[in-house]
Amino acid sequence: MPDLAAPYIQRGIAEILLLAVLAGVLGTWVVLRRLPFYTHAIGTATFPGLVVAGPWGVPAQLTALVCALGFGGVLERVQRTRRLDPDAAIGLLLVAALAIGVVLASDVYHSGAGVDRLLFGSLIALSPSDLWLTAAAAVGALLCDAALRRSWLASGFDPDGARAGGVRVAAADRVLLLAVAVAVVVSLDAVGALLVTVILTVPAATVRLFEPPLRVQQLATFALTAVEGLAAIWIADGFNVGPGPAMAVLGALVYGLAAVLAPRGRLVPA
Amino acid sequence: MTSSVLTRDLRGGYVRGVDVLGGVDFEVSPGEIAAVLGPNGGGKTTLFRALLGELPFRTGEVVLAGRPAYVPQTEGARLDFPVSAHDVALMGSYGRTPWFRRVAKEDRARAEAALERVGLTDRAHARFGTLSGGQRQRVLIARALVQDSPVLLLDEPLSGVDRTSAAQIERVFAGLRAEGRALLVATHDVAQARAWPRVLCLNHGQVAFGAPEETLSTDVLRRTYGDEIVILDGSGQAVTVSHHHHDH
Repeated sequence: MPDLAAPYIQRGIAEILLLAVLAGVLGTWVVLRRLPFYTHAIGTATFPGLVVAGPWGVPAQLTALVCALGFGGVLERVQRTRRLDPDAAIGLLLVAALAIGVVLASDVYHSGAGVDRLLFGSLIALSPSDLWLTAAAAVGALLCDAALRRSWLASGFDPDGARAGGVRVAAADRVLLLAVAVAVVVSLDAVGALLVTVILTVPAATVRLFEPPLRVQQLATFALTAVEGLAAIWIADGFNVGPGPAMAVLGALVYGLAAVLAPRGRLVPA
Repeated sequence: MTSSVLTRDLRGGYVRGVDVLGGVDFEVSPGEIAAVLGPNGGGKTTLFRALLGELPFRTGEVVLAGRPAYVPQTEGARLDFPVSAHDVALMGSYGRTPWFRRVAKEDRARAEAALERVGLTDRAHARFGTLSGGQRQRVLIARALVQDSPVLLLDEPLSGVDRTSAAQIERVFAGLRAEGRALLVATHDVAQARAWPRVLCLNHGQVAFGAPEETLSTDVLRRTYGDEIVILDGSGQAVTVSHHHHDH
């Protein structure tokens, strides 16, 4: 059992509860709007920014955010040309970002063992400022959801019909992508560049197997992320493993169990 | 009488310099229904996009009595989305509801009335994805009704729907006409087009427009459908070899 009086454990617990808010609010939209690959790619795209942050003496969240927004901007530009399949464009940029990050880490800045932390994060090695950033992102996500859930719902259900009905589909979708990028950046300290989908996709995808209404889906995703995260902290502390990978394995196991238990045949593919 | 829809030499497409839609000139009055007849890829959906102001490149004149309500083909809607028939109908009010306001009670009442009008009150809380094809089409029409527009653009609303839904949709059309609304209905069905007062034949541009008895000649149908048309000897009836694809 972890020492609940230890500040690093308390910060880990607070962080996972805040990340669970992001998972519940935004993770649900990530899954509903078919953005898991985008989310994973944004996480990977931050890797070069994380590598240069230390040597340059700037906050890692700042360089990561610049990389995430740059990735999103280039992606939108490439997709707008319609000369490349959107998934192919994401794949291409993802590989480029990872390669640049690896070159920077190994050949330019010789980051060494620190790369593990950048790629996989640690829920039990957080600073108070990490918590404040995540709290701000959680509040921002709740506000965006309150203001734009109708637009996100209508444009996700039927973009042509929504646009024709006067919904500002493009603007609402841009805000969603931006919100996801910010959520990815604040998740990095806890789960790293490669495992952000453990927070922002896996729990929401697990809950979605049961096809609940939207609000129930968001609440259940919050609860599941919190439980998985707390269990990961307990496992990490007790067995001396990384909490990010522990949460990933746990999330995958729970998803597999849910896939077996969930009612089949109700969900009609689009 | 002022037109509900009027176009003059309307042209446009998705790429600069490549017109999917040639010159289109037609006029629909309040209370009129016009069939938009043409093959797949003939420009029916493109015409609707032009009328909605969504075509990237457009020239010519368009005059509308108000922002049109659009009923797309049901294939474009996600069946796995967690929305009920009532939720979808309510989406018709989203365009006029500011982001900081809740949906008005009047709009909730409009959504219920629209579902009643399309005969789906008893299915209001059913998931959209669990409804039959015809019921889904009626829900999308209910969403357009909530928009309360003087002009409705419907993209093949009668394609592949069951007989009950088709009859219900026809009743809704009659009611909308009685209220003075103008309807443009894309269809492959020549027989269906003959039943309505106006028909616009499109094949990358306007082939003909007018009353069906004067417009739907064998020559016009051949120019509209090309190889997709079969003229039945003796009866003068035409049958299209239709492919149910979304056209552009």
